[in-house]
Amino acid sequence: MSQAPEALRTEVRAWLQNNIPRDWRAAMTGTDQDAFVRAQREWFGKLVKAGYATPHWPEGWPGGGRSLAEQKIIYEEVARADAPRLILFFVALYHAACTLIEWGTDAQKRTHLPGILDGKLWCQGFSEPNAGSDLAAVRTRAELRGDRYVINGQKIWSTLAQHADYCLLLVRTDTAGPPQAGLTYLLLDMRSKGVSVRPIAQITGDDEFSEIFLDDVEVPVSDRVGAQGQGWAVAQSTLASERGLTLVELSHRMRYALSRITGLMRERGVDGDAALRRDLGRLAPKVDAACALADQYLLKRIENTEAPGDASIVKLHYARTLRDFTALGLRIAGLQGQYREPFIRGGGMETGNWPFDFMNSYNWTIAGGSDEIQRNIIAERMLGMPREPKDWRLSGERT
Amino acid sequence: MTPELAELRDSAREVLAAEGLAAPEDKTWPLALDLGWLLVAVPEAQGGLGQGLAGACAFHAEMGRSLCAAPYLPAMLAMEAVIHTAREDWIERLGASGFVTAPLVDPTLTITDGGIVAGMASAVPSADRASHVLLGSEAGDCVALVALQQAGIDARHRETWDTTRRLFDLRFDNVAVDPSLVLARGNDARVLSRRLATHRDFALAADAVGGAAAALEMTVEYLKTRRQFGRPLALFQALKHRCADLKARIVAAEALLADNLARVGTEVDSERAEALGKAAKSFAVSAYAAVAEEMLQLHGGIGMTAEHACHLFLKRALLDEQLGRCTSYELDVADTLLGAG
Repeated sequence: MSQAPEALRTEVRAWLQNNIPRDWRAAMTGTDQDAFVRAQREWFGKLVKAGYATPHWPEGWPGGGRSLAEQKIIYEEVARADAPRLILFFVALYHAACTLIEWGTDAQKRTHLPGILDGKLWCQGFSEPNAGSDLAAVRTRAELRGDRYVINGQKIWSTLAQHADYCLLLVRTDTAGPPQAGLTYLLLDMRSKGVSVRPIAQITGDDEFSEIFLDDVEVPVSDRVGAQGQGWAVAQSTLASERGLTLVELSHRMRYALSRITGLMRERGVDGDAALRRDLGRLAPKVDAACALADQYLLKRIENTEAPGDASIVKLHYARTLRDFTALGLRIAGLQGQYREPFIRGGGMETGNWPFDFMNSYNWTIAGGSDEIQRNIIAERMLGMPREPKDWRLSGERT
Repeated sequence: MTPELAELRDSAREVLAAEGLAAPEDKTWPLALDLGWLLVAVPEAQGGLGQGLAGACAFHAEMGRSLCAAPYLPAMLAMEAVIHTAREDWIERLGASGFVTAPLVDPTLTITDGGIVAGMASAVPSADRASHVLLGSEAGDCVALVALQQAGIDARHRETWDTTRRLFDLRFDNVAVDPSLVLARGNDARVLSRRLATHRDFALAADAVGGAAAALEMTVEYLKTRRQFGRPLALFQALKHRCADLKARIVAAEALLADNLARVGTEVDSERAEALGKAAKSFAVSAYAAVAEEMLQLHGGIGMTAEHACHLFLKRALLDEQLGRCTSYELDVADTLLGAG
């Protein structure tokens, strides 16, 4: 499927105008998670039907076969229209689908890809209490017994796992050798015996993330993706699946959201305040730069000229700019902003509930490789600075 | 960037690198002329490369990278003015051997209907080597080339901390403009002035981006070589992270510059182009200043010595921040978002 860029843009724009849930922000303000899930399902259904949920799927699948350039147009229009983000389905549509498309067996694809279109929900089981930024340190054990793996361990920071039907699970099958080599990738049915999920109460009042406890959970060998010991490579595909696109959407959303800052300044009667105006004048080019970086990064991906570290710069700049953005909102909101107001579920990164947005911005400076990890990558892989030595000892400590 | 432009840019980088950092004006200015760097933005029909403002900025960035002392920026402003007022003879003259300079900040002067100039133009590079200066009146209603060798003009060299530029104050005491050298009047002059100020902002942004990139490269190289506590300084994560942040800032400034240039396209005299130029300039020069500031700190004591190049970057970065318009760029950006305050 391929069409002239401007024709696609016009088509998507018109469709969004007619189909975005009316007043969804108001409807999602102060709502509970079940109502959010219902609203997401409804929106997802519409997008799937129109073919806009799966532009990144291969040709032959409903909505699939769109080029990166076309996907970018869809994302830009979604941002422009301020449509709800498909947060609940993100892992299913990108992480699960792309991993299966690249690595899955025919049987796995036949089962799970149509399931995703039908609304099956997925979550990611990568991080652990002791394997966050250092993902290779995963300790959840999977022991092969006959035709099944028996799994024991704990996963954390799993977005919306409490609603998930399946989990992309990274487990350790081998403790010898380099840590990456002992990892294996499994598809876990969340209804399996021994799986329990506990939502984590977050500082924002949201409970988007969950912990997953795995107690003698059995997974058939046929639900393994890739070979045993190949989990690290498979996980890299999972993480690369939406590379670039998310930040095109989010940075463009941030640019549109500058009007929330200016609106707030007017509303609070501080639009004449020279210091705040200066802060705004400093922030706006930074936001524009975030858009330019995301756009140019995606172009590099389209042209196959991506270099190591490029993605880290895009993410680091976006994350820092989002912090500045929300911090400015917080400052303008003043004492008024400190009175607790209900937040908007799935309202994006700039909801106008500034303390919420500010705290939520840590998602981008910590998750998906913290700022510190990105800085390491930039320093080592772009600037060619040496890696940390592997051996260390605190002074005074005995070896 | 077209492959031809990239090739030309690369060759300029090579030539300037061979001359060394901050090579004297007497060496680099003839190179700029001989190698046709002034023809980058000249339309192909007039014997140029037809690369427009984006092409010019690729070269401005190389000037910044090499701390070039040649007065390329003012010469390019003069060229832009004569291109857009279709002064074929002047395009040829400036492309061949002539030099017309221009102030790098907005002048405070008047040009009467009768063509009498009075007032002051500051930050005019290499005025002693120029035959003319490109002037716009403060009111924006007249743009003209004014011959420098005439009575009533007091040119004074002002020594700057940045030794890679030689700036002059020019004072005009009722100097008559040759009527044939009035390039534009009235609204045409206002549009041309805006075009020139926009070119200047983008050029300064490019200078900053080029300088910042070179400064960081040098710094990283130094950290890799310098050993303390039995290891290269580049091994310390605290220093790596600072370099990574600077790198991200430079790449962001480059991206914004490229994106804003692409949005401007050929509409260099539009109000939108003006706003885009201000944003690019303000973001890039503050990044350059931050990089230069860190460069000196990360070099330690050696950075405080005159023999090392750190100070040259720092001084050029600090000057770049002060060149351009007299208004606050941040407040101007806010004006475009909020309306005038």
